[in-house]
Amino acid sequence: MPDTPENRVERIVSDLLRGHRLKLRGGDAEEKEAITVAARLAAARQGPQRMNPAFRKRLARALETAPKEGWLTRRAALVAGLGVAAGAVSGGLIGKSLHAAVPAPIARGGIIDPHPGRWVDVGALTDFIDGQGKRVTAGAVGAFVFRRGEAVTAVSSICSHLPCELWWNAGGDSLDCPCHPASFRPDGVATNQAYGLASLNQVSIRVTTAGRVEVLGT
Amino acid sequence: MDPGPPGDEVAAERAGDVLELPAASRATDIALDELELVYAFIYARVGNRADAEDLTQQVAMKAIPRLRQGAPASAIRGYLFATARSVLGGFWSTRLGLSEAELREDLAMAIPAGPPSAEPEERARRILAALSDNYRRVLELRFLHGYSLKEVAAEMRSTVGAVKVMQLRALRAAAKVPPDA
Repeated sequence: MPDTPENRVERIVSDLLRGHRLKLRGGDAEEKEAITVAARLAAARQGPQRMNPAFRKRLARALETAPKEGWLTRRAALVAGLGVAAGAVSGGLIGKSLHAAVPAPIARGGIIDPHPGRWVDVGALTDFIDGQGKRVTAGAVGAFVFRRGEAVTAVSSICSHLPCELWWNAGGDSLDCPCHPASFRPDGVATNQAYGLASLNQVSIRVTTAGRVEVLGT
Repeated sequence: MDPGPPGDEVAAERAGDVLELPAASRATDIALDELELVYAFIYARVGNRADAEDLTQQVAMKAIPRLRQGAPASAIRGYLFATARSVLGGFWSTRLGLSEAELREDLAMAIPAGPPSAEPEERARRILAALSDNYRRVLELRFLHGYSLKEVAAEMRSTVGAVKVMQLRALRAAAKVPPDA
């Protein structure tokens, strides 16, 4: 079968209709819109889906047996007396647990300096609500912009730990990471210092004399 | 702007709507009930069980810390869905190079309040209704009735080759239908 767009999409549609996994190859990206809508239509044919009982059981097992080291904070470790124990024990399981818990030194977020960079208009100053984070993009640079009166600041919209897009939690006045329990203040500093997360990268921003907000992007 | 938690959820959080997670099994049950919604959300976008299971498991593993902290019920759901959005975004961008901007519409959602609903089917019907007769017919026969290409060709008095091309064009047109159509 010749490698034409209609044949490529037909192969994917045919797989989807047989309930197979999406197997995408080089060149399929050219038809990305058609493929995502095909996946939606294939799902609609099946109706509302619930987890297969075997998968639900597997998931329950995974949830109950997931390692706990990753979420043991330094504070918790110290309260539990592990700090003392770790001082006395080199290597071994306790040492490993504490190693995961002890935060790395907090680094300051650097300034994103795109090359070649250009100032990108992201809206009028009046479009930004005082004290509220608003996500903007300047080419490849994603940022949260904060306005305080006539002043604006911007931090990267990507978590400094995992490459996940942050979201603005207006209730908590923080930027929350969807991938792990980390939050950052509008100035980019992590709210929970026990995790030892680096601050978010700063993004260059300015307000023009015409009252337009510009972000240094690509 | 990236969606934050809806106002009513914040209000519920403030009101102290905190789930008690006394035992591991109870916590797991609560998490699994919430993950059912996540699974349905992901399935509606990837269209197959194997990928939906893999992605749901990724969401669960990433969200474990929050699930174990006795967080408010509304926060758990909001957190799971924010994680699901990120995981799904990664899935499509890795496989097809789709950018976040292109995915915004696909990932935009109201966090569901109840069990998996028929919303995906209604959305599919709205998409089909917005297409021209031939495009709608080919996609209906193929996706809703599960016809093979040969069967569609016979039904439409056409050839397999022509149906394949029409299917591609119909899918391209369907992708352009606005979400509120």
